[in-house]
Amino acid sequence: MHSSKISTWIWWTFFLVVLLLAVVFFSLAVGAVDLPLRKAFFLLTEGRGTPEYAILFEVRLPRVLLGLAVGGGLAISGVILQGMFRNPLVEPYTLGISGGAALGVCLNIVTGGPNVLGPLATPASGFLGAACIVFMVYAISARKGAIRLSRLLLIGVMVSFMASSLIMLVMAVTRTEDLHGIIFWIMGSLEEPNPSLIKAALIISIGGMILSFFYAVDLNALSLGEEDAFHLGVKVEKVKKAIFVIASLLTGCCVAVTGIIGFVGLVVPHLMRLLVGGDHRILLVASYISGAAFLILCDTVARVVIAPMELPVGVITGLVGGGVFIYALSRKSYSF
Amino acid sequence: MKVFCDWSGGKESCLSCYKAMLLALFTLVFFFVSFTCAFSFPSSPHLPRRIVSLIPTVTEELYLLGAGDKIVGVTVYCQRPPEAQTKEKVGTVIDVNIEKIIELRPNLVIASPLTDHKQIRKLRNLDIEVKIFPEARDFDGLCKNFVTLSRLLGREQKAEEIVQKARIELGAIKNAIAGFAKSRVFVQIGANPLFTAKRDSFINDLIECAGGINMGRDAKTGIYSREEVIKRNPEIILIVTMGIVGEKEKEVWLRYKTVTAAKNRSIFTVDSYSVCSPTPLSFVETVKEFVRIFHAQQ
Repeated sequence: MHSSKISTWIWWTFFLVVLLLAVVFFSLAVGAVDLPLRKAFFLLTEGRGTPEYAILFEVRLPRVLLGLAVGGGLAISGVILQGMFRNPLVEPYTLGISGGAALGVCLNIVTGGPNVLGPLATPASGFLGAACIVFMVYAISARKGAIRLSRLLLIGVMVSFMASSLIMLVMAVTRTEDLHGIIFWIMGSLEEPNPSLIKAALIISIGGMILSFFYAVDLNALSLGEEDAFHLGVKVEKVKKAIFVIASLLTGCCVAVTGIIGFVGLVVPHLMRLLVGGDHRILLVASYISGAAFLILCDTVARVVIAPMELPVGVITGLVGGGVFIYALSRKSYSF
Repeated sequence: MKVFCDWSGGKESCLSCYKAMLLALFTLVFFFVSFTCAFSFPSSPHLPRRIVSLIPTVTEELYLLGAGDKIVGVTVYCQRPPEAQTKEKVGTVIDVNIEKIIELRPNLVIASPLTDHKQIRKLRNLDIEVKIFPEARDFDGLCKNFVTLSRLLGREQKAEEIVQKARIELGAIKNAIAGFAKSRVFVQIGANPLFTAKRDSFINDLIECAGGINMGRDAKTGIYSREEVIKRNPEIILIVTMGIVGEKEKEVWLRYKTVTAAKNRSIFTVDSYSVCSPTPLSFVETVKEFVRIFHAQQ
């Protein structure tokens, strides 16, 4: 019984990795400019300096890598938060992380931060905004070192709404030029010119994945309820705090680099629960890989569907993710 | 060696002679170098041969300067002149396709301040020169941008000629309408919310050149209330068209019988292309059109 479960898991992982690789190659192969993939090896060896080389390795590849980092990071963050809250509607942005980041970026753009501090000011302010809001939400909802989950959730939702109202306020009084910057950022995009930011996002998202894997068994216990988990010997408060911190850090970093890309953290965990089951040991791995594949695929579609223009990737994640999820839900009996 | 000499040269040349010759040589070399720098630079291969223009006005101005053949990429909004429509499209003013631009191998990209900054940085990382042209706010700014553009192409003379021509025409118009009464003009740009042109916009300059008073001149933001318009009672209302909305808005205004413009049916729609992205020449054309509207009676 046990070994068959493990072999199923291995098959799932294998399948999803193959899927991810297929999506990566597809994403590298298509775009506004036709690049036959069989030329790729030629480009790799002696194509340096040609426009094709630049398009493949300096335009498409960084986007794929960032998609991997952010898609995986958001999916993991969604899995562990849903596991902790035992609530199917929770996603990485529920706790006000996106609102805080957006507010930070908004204020940064309006006060002219990017002109003074350079291009790193935007991700930095996004991360700072997210950190402030998360800390505030935590401080309000925690009492005597214990997090009450329902309170945390409610306060997170309220703070999100307040943040978005403040963003609207800032947008209403700001100059037109700045407005574009804010809207671009809020719509989210995997375009990032700074390679070190992409590296940082990759390291943090893979690190977060490994870290959360240590809590997979605890999350399995938590899904029975806090009390049962406690009786099973889980240090409930410690685990909750750790998960909260990991999820916030992951989401904060993803949002800071790419802006708000919705739906990945909500729909991917659900879809994977349907496919591989609720055991967090496989769920985490599967969600990371499929989250990455999902976001890369959506970004590719957003790039090519109305080329040379580009759709915001959030449009595609919402439409594709929502559609696939409703279809899957109607085909299978699923309870969270 | 003698200390002084009679400039006869030969073996008897003296110290000061050497010095003077040396100095002369240096001066000559210096002038030669600086001259070659100053004059050979514009005609050297540094001049952009393949340009991607991300601003409709700049596209039009490039054609005015006779550099239309150097354009390899434009935005989907670059509709004028008609030849521009045949060029490769690389996106919109604010959102461009990096891949397309790289494929076109430009050595100059002219971007607007509205273009996504991340995309501009990406292009610069790939060693493509990107020049950001500030948005001009009046006729003078427009001419300045035009001359700056021509400098990049080494066609300053042509640009100066065009600017000169536009200035002379504009001066003639101003003289012709100097004695006429100025009418209060309200410009409507957007319908919902009602949006007008502030002091720091082209439209303000257009109206003032054509002998009108822009009502929105002192507005802090562009958003303007309909009540305020009715209270201040414009004599002329200009609606910058956005498709069929223009005619609809005209009917809305006609309902307010207390407004002079509605009473006299002095409500006009104007083409947003000529108003929002003018070149020095089309600016003057629009001023002429406005003069016809404002001073129809005189």
